[in-house]
Amino acid sequence: MTDHGSTEGHSAGNGVQFTFDGQIVRARPGQTFAGALHDAGIHTLSRSFKYHRPRGLFCVTGRCPNCMCSVNGEPNVRVCTRKPAAGDVVKPQNAWPSVRFDIMSIFDKMHRLLPVGFYYKTMHKPRFMWPIFESVIRRIAGLGEVDLSNGGSEQYDKLNLFTDVVVVGGGLAGLNAAYAAAEAGADVILIDDQPTLGGHVQHDPGSIDVHELAVRYQIMAHPRIQTFVSSTAFGLYEENYVAVQQGNRMIRIRAQQTVVASGGWERPYVFENNDLPGVLLASGAQRLLQQQGCKFDGPIVIVTDQPIGYRLADQLKQKGMHVAALVDLHDQPQGAIEGLRVLAGHTIQAASGKSHVTGAAIVPTRGGTMQTIPCQWIIQAVGFTPATSLLYQSGCKLKYNADLDQHQVTEWAQGVHSAGAVNGYHEPLVCVKDGTRAGLAAANALGLLTTDLTKRLTQLESEISQSTRDCKPTASYISNSKDKKKFVCICEDVTEKDLCDAIDEGYANIETLKRYSTISMGPCQGKMCQSASIAICARHKGIDIEAVGTTTSRPPEQPVPLGVLAGQAPHFSLIRRTAMHHWHEEAGARFLDAGTWKRPERYTDPHDEYQAVRKGVGLIDVSTLGKIELRGPDVVKFLEFIYPNRFANLAIGKVRYGAICDEAGILLDDGMICRLDEERFYLSTSTGNADAIDSWFRWWLTAKPQWDISMTNMSTALSGMNLAGPHSRDVLRRVSTGDVSNEALPYPSVKLLDVAGVPAIVLRIGFVGELGFEIHVPSQYGLHVWNTLMEAGKDFDIKPFGVEAQRRLRLDKKHLLPGVDTDALSNMYDADLPWIVKLDKEDFIGRWSLNRIKERGPKQKLIGFKLEGTTVPDEASLIVKQGSLVGRVTSVRYSPAAGSIVGLAWVPIESSKNGDIIDIRHAGQSLKAVVQDDPFYDVAGERLNS
Amino acid sequence: MPASRMWRDHELKESYDVVIIGGGVHGLATAYYLTKLGVKNIAILEAKYIGFGGSGRNTAIIRSNYRTPEGIAFYDHSVKLYEQLALDLDFNVMFSQHGHLTLAHNERGVTGLRERAHTNQLMGIDSRLIQPREIQELCPMMNVFGPQRYPIQAALYHPPGGIIRHDAVVWAYARGADRGGAHVHQLTEVNDIETPNGAVSAVVTNRGRIKTGIVLNATAGYASTICDMVNIPLALETHPLQAFVSEALKPWLHHVIVSSTLHIYISQSDRGELVSGAEVDDYLSYSLRGTLAFAEGGATHLLELFPFLANVKMLRQWAGLCDMTPDYSPIMGPVDEIKGFYITVGWGTYGFKAGPASGHLMAQCIQSGKTPKMLEPFLNSRFLRDQLVGEKAAASVSH
Ligand SMILES: Cc1cc2nc3c(=O)[nH]c(=O)nc-3n(C[C@H](O)[C@H](O)[C@H](O)COP(=O)(O)OP(=O)(O)OC[C@H]3O[C@@H](n4cnc5c(N)ncnc54)[C@H](O)[C@@H]3O)c2cc1C
Repeated sequence: MTDHGSTEGHSAGNGVQFTFDGQIVRARPGQTFAGALHDAGIHTLSRSFKYHRPRGLFCVTGRCPNCMCSVNGEPNVRVCTRKPAAGDVVKPQNAWPSVRFDIMSIFDKMHRLLPVGFYYKTMHKPRFMWPIFESVIRRIAGLGEVDLSNGGSEQYDKLNLFTDVVVVGGGLAGLNAAYAAAEAGADVILIDDQPTLGGHVQHDPGSIDVHELAVRYQIMAHPRIQTFVSSTAFGLYEENYVAVQQGNRMIRIRAQQTVVASGGWERPYVFENNDLPGVLLASGAQRLLQQQGCKFDGPIVIVTDQPIGYRLADQLKQKGMHVAALVDLHDQPQGAIEGLRVLAGHTIQAASGKSHVTGAAIVPTRGGTMQTIPCQWIIQAVGFTPATSLLYQSGCKLKYNADLDQHQVTEWAQGVHSAGAVNGYHEPLVCVKDGTRAGLAAANALGLLTTDLTKRLTQLESEISQSTRDCKPTASYISNSKDKKKFVCICEDVTEKDLCDAIDEGYANIETLKRYSTISMGPCQGKMCQSASIAICARHKGIDIEAVGTTTSRPPEQPVPLGVLAGQAPHFSLIRRTAMHHWHEEAGARFLDAGTWKRPERYTDPHDEYQAVRKGVGLIDVSTLGKIELRGPDVVKFLEFIYPNRFANLAIGKVRYGAICDEAGILLDDGMICRLDEERFYLSTSTGNADAIDSWFRWWLTAKPQWDISMTNMSTALSGMNLAGPHSRDVLRRVSTGDVSNEALPYPSVKLLDVAGVPAIVLRIGFVGELGFEIHVPSQYGLHVWNTLMEAGKDFDIKPFGVEAQRRLRLDKKHLLPGVDTDALSNMYDADLPWIVKLDKEDFIGRWSLNRIKERGPKQKLIGFKLEGTTVPDEASLIVKQGSLVGRVTSVRYSPAAGSIVGLAWVPIESSKNGDIIDIRHAGQSLKAVVQDDPFYDVAGERLNS
Repeated sequence: MPASRMWRDHELKESYDVVIIGGGVHGLATAYYLTKLGVKNIAILEAKYIGFGGSGRNTAIIRSNYRTPEGIAFYDHSVKLYEQLALDLDFNVMFSQHGHLTLAHNERGVTGLRERAHTNQLMGIDSRLIQPREIQELCPMMNVFGPQRYPIQAALYHPPGGIIRHDAVVWAYARGADRGGAHVHQLTEVNDIETPNGAVSAVVTNRGRIKTGIVLNATAGYASTICDMVNIPLALETHPLQAFVSEALKPWLHHVIVSSTLHIYISQSDRGELVSGAEVDDYLSYSLRGTLAFAEGGATHLLELFPFLANVKMLRQWAGLCDMTPDYSPIMGPVDEIKGFYITVGWGTYGFKAGPASGHLMAQCIQSGKTPKMLEPFLNSRFLRDQLVGEKAAASVSH
């Protein structure tokens, strides 16, 4: 089964038209932008990063930066791998007024003034100059332009898959690995970034009998193989977690085994002007030739030390193109083709031409006179660098292999295998074998191999260890000339000279060299330049390549659009609504975000809601509270350990306020703890901390495996509502068959009751300082119970109330809100909760710290204050003493019950006594408030207990 | 030696007056300021290459709009030194003071920012709370009024805040230290510290033993591994912190934008790359591998603020290590237990901006043997005195 994804353009019979820099270009069916542009004779596609040099097609595999254009406003599109749709608008980047004539190419003339790292050495003196220079730099830096008008309307999605084996790369090795693993019984997913399977041999069949490719047809039909083409595996994360981009989709695959058969990246040869349009990599030229049906007009010079160079010459000649010469770096020609001029023992020193190649300067490798061969194309084939990024990412260890002049995996990460060219094998038949071996090895790790297959695996392993890896290039792929414009990194315009200069300055470590010269930090992330930069570093320092090391390869292997990473547009963010949400909406509630929840902030005037609770009855939705049930013989031990409070003595049917602190004694959260039965507790947490407390409990449960406790998070399973006010009992009575009298359900206690025909946990508690009941029912009945209470409350003028009224009500009682009135440094004593801490308990979290805090005495305290007048200071107003900051206000409101402004504030212990005056700074004024120990309402708590 | 030579390689000497462990901004800055105070016989020992740690991995946000008076005074000192650093070291460290915006998306967030604004102003820091309309004027590209899961309600605007070229700072300090006579030893790992009689006498490295009476632990994410060698427990935990950059784009974003509700911050470098990060990963680890979940989360949140970035590509993601203290403030100064043993650790997610100030003060501290006043609140003994410097609200996402 093959999935082509959405990018696979199925262009109609006649092809399509698009525009490039305003010019109309026609693409034949199946062609990429690059193929069409090449046919149209457009060879300058962009301007380079630093010097604004003209750049044209080079790798034609979507890796190098040269063909990055903007397509319909999308920046940095590699047009060599993208297919056009009719009417697409392609614009070159980093050029003005046009790519053919770019004013900024003046930098190319000034290169002597712009040596490596010049920006660190200039522009900072005098100091005021830098911002001016910088604003200029910020006008010319960067490549693509962001389309600020892009409305983000594209659709993105994600697909999650699980499989036995993922094979990355559908070349000969990958195909055979997939096939072997599947035949052995594994479920396989095969990923390839090209539109068709087959990899390198598709355009360079070489010695291979095309029948070998037959396996690819079997693969597409294989019931255990799922194939994704035009899909790039960009990340191999921990535990064989493979991330794949397929157009606008991200596929996340959890595999047991991964086979990386990612082949190689062709390595560029470093010579003067090697970045001119008209200079191409051999595999790029082959792609244009074989896949895009393109021609090369004018004479061609091939520079090579590999058989592929000869095969390419053959292909070109057969298609009627003019190969002026093949320059073979070896002293003895590596092949012979009739009528082909071969210059063995020669190398290229420079490309000539201004905006396109006009000639190749050729010299004998052992020195001698230079000759210039007029040509329009220079195609280079000097070997491959193994495409090891994914392997490196996965944690495999690589080592330099001097025989092959390559870095090779020597230690594989768990469950990771490699096969084919990435292992240094280029002979097609060896790749087939190595692929089969890797597929069998993956199946073997899954325990799938029969005795026969195990034998076959052993046999393949030994055969492969004897086969040669044939691609060792000649000594060096860096010309010896002393020229200035030998580009090692075409992404960032870093030359060989730049690297050598940087090393001389002291940036000799390869990682420092990278950061200073910016080599390998551009769009290709080192695919084009890594081998050459390491070789130059070694040569210049006179040390072994192995001693140079490598830079770190980091995800993504290919750049990934943020939309693909994010998925889904408009962007998905969780919104949680309670069971009563729509009721609130209809009642005209204004909502606020409490974490991921939506909560009614107010329905009408919070003052009226406040008065309803104080004088009659109100109902608030508290479903967003965290709710946890704990059962088991050791729950008491656990609670005694988690909370500074005591719970061993909590009677069945009783409720106790509890506060949790961390090891440092810092208050984390508070809530109500109910004992429903000997071994069954039910407790609540604040809305904002529900998830954190859940994790906190689980963390400590894991730390105490010997305790027999089961924990269930009921937060969303249950709806909660708080019925509060002098008439709350009257209302509850009407809808509950249970006894809710003060004797049967005193403050603070809990009962399982029937409310509105629904089994409910009813807590007699009073956060807002009135007679009140908190009713928890299964969420599916939340709305029903709410409606029933509202109906029953009509006679008492019941009002729903929101968070704002609740805040005012609780402030009257000086009840703190963790996280609002406390911060990451507020300990239990300072937060004025000393009565909670039972230091005589055997052990509990925070005991050691609280002990110390108690010994040294509090330094600051959360106090209540009263303020006369009408100016309500901001929450967060500072408290100052003799000009310096000593505290802050955390909550403040006008209180009708107290008849004045009341609030909570942190003050130094010296100013925390009842009656002390504190100085609150508000809008430049100083407001004098009075510290008050008692709550501002119902000091004796009569209303709670009524 | 060419004039442009940054730092040299040396043989290890048998003894140094001061040995600094860790070639990050803190170690190198301390060395540089020590040489200016006349202490020149210094070795900086770096296990890998200078800048290998957080100093080469951070997102280079510099600001002083902290929450506590102690923190604000300290970071303000650093910003002022940073403003002069390019001239002082004659190296363009590219300090861009384009302004720093911390967004609030809910009431609690607004209150927290308002408190900081008040405190900052009291301490003379340019910092104020601004409303959505002004946010939009400063950053016209941001989705301020469009549909958003958590609409922006206000921001703390800090004009002197900005970003810097972090590697340049590291290299320039290394050069400064080298010119002042200090030896920068790369690929030199400390394996043990000898402290007979409760005083430092030598460090043992993979290249040999060095005699010294003074050791400074400046190893950030690895700080506890060094303190383990001398049996000093530190109140810190090492967490990974991740970041990513986009491909280079023509600059369009000229502020640092931070949102703790969205767990994201973003800026654009002079090269045009968008640089973005989040909070620390919530697990303890020394792993330097990036995770997909981070990249996904970062992208999602970024697109809430800037929906047009959907087709912009992430180029590279990475992780660094952060030595997190419970109060999100550093630990600096001598330790009571061992004579000659100093620490500058607990730099968490926010330590790069502190390099100059801590280097400057630690140098004074080591040279004079007295703790400068500004360092006092940050001594290790504060944990036993229970006198923490609460910066969590100002330092968790907005490094
Ligand atoms: C992704 C990320 C983003 C960040 N963003 C910001 C930001 O925007 N603003 C900000 O101010 N801060 C930020 N930080 C934090 C900042 O990077 C660090 O706090 C700071 O760089 C620490 O500097 P340092 O010199 O103390 O340590 P490091 O730079 O970490 O250096 C410590 C060095 O010690 C070396 N070492 C360790 N063990 C040994 C040993 N045994 N022997 C010898 N050497 C050893 C290591 O190799 C390392 O080089 C960020 C951090 C990360 C990871």
